[in-house]
Amino acid sequence: MNRRLGGWLSVGIGVGLVGVPVVVAVFGPLVPVRVEAGLPYASAGVLGTDGLGRDVLQLLLVGGRTALGMAIGAVVIAYLIGGLIGLVAASTRHRWLDEGLIRPLDVLLPLPSLLVISVVAVGWRASALAITLAVALVNVPTVTRLVRAAALDAASSPVVEALRMQRASWINIHLGYVGRSVLGPVAADLGTRITLAVFLVASVNFLGLGLSPTAPDWAVSISRNREGLLLQPWSVLAPALLLVSFTLGFNLLADRLLHHTRRRPVEATR
Amino acid sequence: MRTYAGQRAVLAVVQLGVLSVLVFVLTALLPGDAADMRFTETLTPDQVSRLRAELGLDQPLVSRFVDWFGDVVRGDLGTSLISGGPVVDIVKSSVGATLVLTLATLAVVVPLAVALGIVMGTRENGRLDRAITSVTLALSAIPDFVIAVLLVAVFSLKLGWLPATWIGGSLLASPVLLVLPVAVLLGRTVCLLSRQVRAGTITALHAEYVVQARRLGVPRRRLLLRHVLPNAAVPGVQELARTGDTLLGGVLVVEAIFAIPGFATALVDGVETRDVPVVQGLTLVLAVAALLLNLAADLLCNRLVPRTELLR
Repeated sequence: MNRRLGGWLSVGIGVGLVGVPVVVAVFGPLVPVRVEAGLPYASAGVLGTDGLGRDVLQLLLVGGRTALGMAIGAVVIAYLIGGLIGLVAASTRHRWLDEGLIRPLDVLLPLPSLLVISVVAVGWRASALAITLAVALVNVPTVTRLVRAAALDAASSPVVEALRMQRASWINIHLGYVGRSVLGPVAADLGTRITLAVFLVASVNFLGLGLSPTAPDWAVSISRNREGLLLQPWSVLAPALLLVSFTLGFNLLADRLLHHTRRRPVEATR
Repeated sequence: MRTYAGQRAVLAVVQLGVLSVLVFVLTALLPGDAADMRFTETLTPDQVSRLRAELGLDQPLVSRFVDWFGDVVRGDLGTSLISGGPVVDIVKSSVGATLVLTLATLAVVVPLAVALGIVMGTRENGRLDRAITSVTLALSAIPDFVIAVLLVAVFSLKLGWLPATWIGGSLLASPVLLVLPVAVLLGRTVCLLSRQVRAGTITALHAEYVVQARRLGVPRRRLLLRHVLPNAAVPGVQELARTGDTLLGGVLVVEAIFAIPGFATALVDGVETRDVPVVQGLTLVLAVAALLLNLAADLLCNRLVPRTELLR
């Protein structure tokens, strides 16, 4: 009983931690705060100003779209591509198709992600779309493997045999049963993958390989204002807190989800 | 064992080949080539096309690749568009700092992560396990550049105990320069690794052979070191190879923040100045290093637990 309460509590905290930055990112740009640029690192306004004299609160409200949006967009794209390849590879009866789809990805797997992104950054400087696609590309091999493994597990289960014997349609078996049983591992993976993508996008922007150095993005703000940390801490701490709150919350939720998916089959066998 | 090592080595060679094609094609696809980049402002279009012919850029992609690959095999990575010097020199001058930084981090990370993982794994769901788990989970959610910015603010700017940036000289000569960078890099890698070692320890402790060994009265210390640790280390070593990615990202960030003149600084400079040969060369060297790291990790895992299979 006590443990279940603890579980719900950590889910609640997780949702809260993720919720705040998401709400700021989604609805922030709609809030009509228009403050003229003032002195750099001044304490004017609620959170003061940054190194360029811009209002920190206003930057925060606008900067979430890129910080979270690029990462989430990249994971969605990675799942659209990798998920499709993985499902096809797992459900095909032709071994050559499976090999042909999976082997090339094995080669891509050990490529350090920041390298791929730096190469892309040379050609398409400061393009949010290019960076998002690069982050998606980096995630495709692992997503494909995960989806394929999960789908193979489900496709070789007795349930599928039974469905086949009842002459269930291909769509019924593959989208109805196999597709649905893949959702569990996918949900558990999404949590960590989105966190990692947020990290990667933030690191890229922090290093100056991504968005332009005057963009209102949270990571760019942290990078630009770090010299003024002692003069005007909020210009760095506020965007940092929002980023950490998001990743911490997602980690908590993913951890709880993993507990659930892992515990259920064990209890079922007992 | 021999067949496994052989198979794995063949795979690595194939990976190397595909990788070099990939690096070449990726950089060749970039909009604007070397001729465009250097000369559009000072030369006429006619001169640019003559220069392109001189640099061999009008050749088909395949023959350009053959030329480039031949040079790479002979140790020539091309010349920098900005400095005009050979890329190999840039690689040589920057590899030292990165290597020192990485090795110093690994020297701290590996023992620490293994110790923490075993402590947690042997006390599954105990108070200590839960405490360390919470701390590592929380720590791994903080981006390394945030940790770096905060550590610099507190220990360098506020307290003045440690240097905030690299001030010339060798990293080895003044190890105090390494304290903050390594501390930053520790955070996430220790968290990721120790969780894998913990999971490996728990799995091994529940395995039948360990239960049986315990029944036979094998002393606890011997049980842990001889029977549990090698099995627990496998996910750890595999994670370590994958952590290479996280670690490299961390090293990039740390070098940028502490102004350490290593690989990452050279890479970021290359990207900023659109120096394609430099980016190409550095990418190739780092990617090869990552491949070899993976190869070493897989061979080591196979040594520890010979049943690891290569192909599924």
